[in-house]
Amino acid sequence: MIKHILKLLWNKRRSNALLVIEILLSFIVLFFALAYIFFNTEKAFSPIGFDTENRWMIALDDLSNLDSLNRVEIMTNLKSELLNTEEIEEVTFTTYAYPFSNSNARNGTDLNGFQMTALIVEADSEFNKTLNPNIIEGRWFNEEDYNSSTPPIIVNKLFMETYYPNHSMIDSTILFDDPVKIIGVVEDYRYQGEFSEKKNIVFRLKHFHENTSCVVLKMANNTNAAFEEKLSKIVNSTTNTTGSIIQNVPKLKEQNSQQSWLMIMAILFTCTFLCLNISLGLFGVLWYNINKRKSEIGLRQALGASGFDISKQFVLEVIVLAGIALLFGIFFTIQIPLLNVIDIESDLFYKAIIYATLIILTLVFLCSIIPSIQAANVTPANSLHED
Amino acid sequence: MINLKNISKVYRTKTIETTALNKIDLQVAKGEFLSIMGPSGCGKSTLLNIIGLLDQPSGGELSIDGETTSNYKGKSLSKFRNEKLGFIFQSFHLIPDLNIIDNVEVPLLYRKINAKQRKEMAAKALESVGLANRKKHFPNQLSGGQKQRVAIARAIVGNPEIILADEPTGNLDSHMGDEVMNILSNLNKDNKTTIIMVTHDERMAKKTDRLIRLYDGSQVA
Ligand SMILES: Nc1ncnc2c1ncn2[C@@H]1O[C@H](COP(=O)(O)OP(=O)(O)OP(=O)(O)O)[C@@H](O)[C@H]1O
Ligand SMILES: [Mg+2]
Repeated sequence: MIKHILKLLWNKRRSNALLVIEILLSFIVLFFALAYIFFNTEKAFSPIGFDTENRWMIALDDLSNLDSLNRVEIMTNLKSELLNTEEIEEVTFTTYAYPFSNSNARNGTDLNGFQMTALIVEADSEFNKTLNPNIIEGRWFNEEDYNSSTPPIIVNKLFMETYYPNHSMIDSTILFDDPVKIIGVVEDYRYQGEFSEKKNIVFRLKHFHENTSCVVLKMANNTNAAFEEKLSKIVNSTTNTTGSIIQNVPKLKEQNSQQSWLMIMAILFTCTFLCLNISLGLFGVLWYNINKRKSEIGLRQALGASGFDISKQFVLEVIVLAGIALLFGIFFTIQIPLLNVIDIESDLFYKAIIYATLIILTLVFLCSIIPSIQAANVTPANSLHED
Repeated sequence: MINLKNISKVYRTKTIETTALNKIDLQVAKGEFLSIMGPSGCGKSTLLNIIGLLDQPSGGELSIDGETTSNYKGKSLSKFRNEKLGFIFQSFHLIPDLNIIDNVEVPLLYRKINAKQRKEMAAKALESVGLANRKKHFPNQLSGGQKQRVAIARAIVGNPEIILADEPTGNLDSHMGDEVMNILSNLNKDNKTTIIMVTHDERMAKKTDRLIRLYDGSQVA
């Protein structure tokens, strides 16, 4: 039967080519859309590595024109004032790599031709209490680390997987610009947001009073927005500035992700629309074809085809055409992971190929089943008459 | 072997009711070559379709080989058509997208016969209608007479006991008509195939064993 169908399709290759091309193009669009969605949702659903609930943030006004003695005094005051406030549970000071910041500082080091790169995060010993990163090995910085002869660093899991897979490096000294000692590994710190790529991270220890750009606060539960005004007063009076900005971390997170979610929604919507379009197109073409082939259907029934034989033939015809389109589609799209055209994990593309294939096959099957059942209901006497 | 008792057929549309067949009684013996004549619209095709189980009578009873045909439904009906009956139509009804041998093969697709054997049977059938050298042609590359011979090959490929032919020479000139008629006569003689043929041509009808005439849905002779 398959051979018979292949012959029929081949002899009508001109009109079938259009259907094949339609399915092929739909497959390719679906593939890219799915790859995009998988790529982004995978990031969105992997942990960002720190807590945001009940966290507030103060972007400090510029304190760089203060001399260092003065700055230490002001920062020390600010820290104790903040910690003395009932609503505030923990305080940490950091620089540009604060939650949902856009900035980054990359650092690389070349050790015997061995290139290491990572985003640098400057943190103090209170960082873990405030942002609660998931420490999977070793420990966070403590007070003694400030006096350590070899500067301690903490890295993320990806850093370890990239440069030191399969063995622990805790308390080992490595060369990262200068000799540094790895004292801990955190799961991650994707401070650039839910949709940011996974990157190597290196935390460097810095005294809180050197981290003058940003303060992150862990607030007591149920602190309301009205506290913002009080907090602002404390900051302004202790720093003698007026330009500090208080922000709500969960809100920042939401804003940071909003655009990406919107994009995913738009693409999902487009995908749905595309699928609907394919379905309607297929349905129409099949309906038309089957009506055009009524006398063939009647003839086949007269020659001994059962209703099931007729339906099977029409469903198979479309499935075979879809199969051909998908073979081409898979051949083209699989080049992307095979040739590493885009520098993204190849599993994601394979996953997109599999899902796009399944979606197309399901649509094709569903769209062919109704016209094909209809075809089986053709009455032979009437359809042989129509000519 | 074919027994029609009181067969009627009424076509009903919203506005009109057409009596296409009116209480037809007819027996056709095994190996008989019967022709049916009558003016246009008198119900000849309707009668043939009912005998071929392509259509159901509105009343009366039809039995073939002693089996009441209304018992055949679904799969058994298809199987019956496939194994017992061969059809030939005035307008040939070849599938334009299949070449000649593939067209002849179609009835065998609905039996459990392997591809090689199908090819052999189809080639043999084509040979018997004198078209062995046209296997790879497409229907639109053949003359009317050749098309009808392909249709005959398709009708006989599965060795049916009964062939139903609706004006098989209606679209052919007299020479080609004679050719087709000869093939049918030989089939009837050599294979003892029962043939029921509708025709408008007295000359063709004369070559058959028996002639019946219909007029306005009733048998008049
Ligand atoms: N599907 C149908 N619906 C309604 N009326 C029909 C249908 N098929 C046939 N008829 C009517 O039944 C009558 C017999 O038709 P039939 O086709 O059997 O005639 P015929 O003898 O074969 O004519 P011709 O010699 O022109 O082929 C005609 O009056 C026709 O109009
Ligand atoms: Mg007729």
